[in-house]
Parts: sequence; structure tokens; C-alpha cells
Amino acid sequence: MPERASSRPGEWEFASLVRQHQAMVFSVAWHFLRDRALAEELSQEVFLALHQHLGTLESPEHVLFWLRKVTTHRALDVARRRQRRPMVSLEDAPEPVAVTPAGDPMLGAALRKLIAALPAKARMVVVLRYQEDLDPTEIAAILGIPIGTVKSQLQRALTLLRGKLTRLGEVDL
Amino acid sequence: MNLEDEIRSALRPKEPSPEFTERVLARVYGMPVRPAPRPWVRWVAALAACILLASGAMGYRQYRGERAKAQVLLAFRIAGGKLNKAQKKVQMLNAARRNNS
Repeated sequence: MPERASSRPGEWEFASLVRQHQAMVFSVAWHFLRDRALAEELSQEVFLALHQHLGTLESPEHVLFWLRKVTTHRALDVARRRQRRPMVSLEDAPEPVAVTPAGDPMLGAALRKLIAALPAKARMVVVLRYQEDLDPTEIAAILGIPIGTVKSQLQRALTLLRGKLTRLGEVDL
Repeated sequence: MNLEDEIRSALRPKEPSPEFTERVLARVYGMPVRPAPRPWVRWVAALAACILLASGAMGYRQYRGERAKAQVLLAFRIAGGKLNKAQKKVQMLNAARRNNS
């Protein structure tokens, strides 16, 4: 059992927590929302909430879990609010100009575009699986959905991405 | 090419803007947002600190020198005063002896 924090951390400890986790929080928001300003704003809000809840968090692992959970839920809320802007389905997403061999930044950009076109929940599952390297059980706990749903969404997203990329550049994936 | 590796590479973590931490702390503690110090400012500050320390050390050495000099002069003055007194006593004794003889 991790050791319980003895007291509410002071300013210095909070600043180091922000520095330690800001890339993770910002990246989840940025890869999900694809809007830098919005992702920074959301990340700031998450850390403000963290400051208010620090007293209830029991360990560094708890802080990390809490940050992932709050970031993903807030990002999903933002996506829901943005839905007045029509979402493009993966099938209708504009196709990147060309697909290039592995490790190429062009392929990365094409993939990010295709991921951005996934439905919100599936997109978040992909971000948590491949950015944060979480397994389906951890993703299910963070998103509060059954593990079977996580697995099926992941499978479906991968199939869609593979098909789309293969059609685009006849890449063998 | 492995799709999962490609997705991992496409979703590599990114850093927010350099002022991000400052902005969060400003909002949490109500501090004014300070722009990040430029690298040359640190060098200038370090140089100024070195100059200040060196001049302080030199000043202190000078002060100790002056103090030692003043003490030596005082010692000479005290010794001179005592010498004068002894000389006067000897002269008085000599004069008294001359008168007696």
C-alpha cells in the first residue's frame, strides 16, 4: 500500500508535480482535441482542479490516475460541447496526400489526422493505449466503461486505420 | 511497418508552451506571470554577483589593513608616552644627584 501524503504539499511540491505531469496532461488533450490553445487551457484547468483535490490523493500513483481520468473526461466534455461543429466520420475524413514509409513524419501526420476523425470515445481509447501505453483494464478504469467495450473499440479503430492507410498508399500494415 | 508502432510514434508526448508551469502557478497562487528569464540574464546576474563578492573581499581586506595600522600607531603612541615619562624621571633623578653632590 503506497504511503499516504502527510500533508497538503506546498507551492514547491505542487510546481514540481505540474512539471512532472504537464507533458502527459497536455499531450492527452492535444492528441485528442488537435487544438493547441484549447489543449493548454484544458490542461491548466486540470492542474487547478488537482491543486484543489491534492488533499484527497494518497500517493503519486493516485495523482497520476486522477490526472489521466480528469484530463480524459474533461477532453471528452469539450469534444461533446464542440459537437455543434460537425464531426467528420473516419470514412468521410479527407485523405492525406500521400503515405510514406515507417518513421516518416508524413505518415505520423496522416495517422494523427485519421485518429482525429475517429469517434470521441474510440479516439480517447487510442490516445490512452498508444500515447500512455495503458492496457485495456487501465483504460476501462479511467473511462469508466467495460473492458470489453475498450477492446472492441480499440480493435475497430485499428481495423479502420489500417484499412484507410492501406487504401491511401497501398502500405502493407 | 507495424501499425501500432506507427501510432505510438505519431502520438509521442509533447511539451506545452515554456510558460505553462508559470501560468498554472499564477492561476493557483494569484502570482503575476513572469516571463521566463533569458539565458544571458543569468550570466549577467552571475557576473554581477562575482564582482560584488570580489569587491566585498577587497574592501574587507583594506578595512583589516587600516585597522591593523591604527592599532600599531596606537601601540607606538602608548609606548612613546611611557618612554617620555621614564626619560623625565631619569632626568629628574640626575638633576637631584647633581644638586646633592
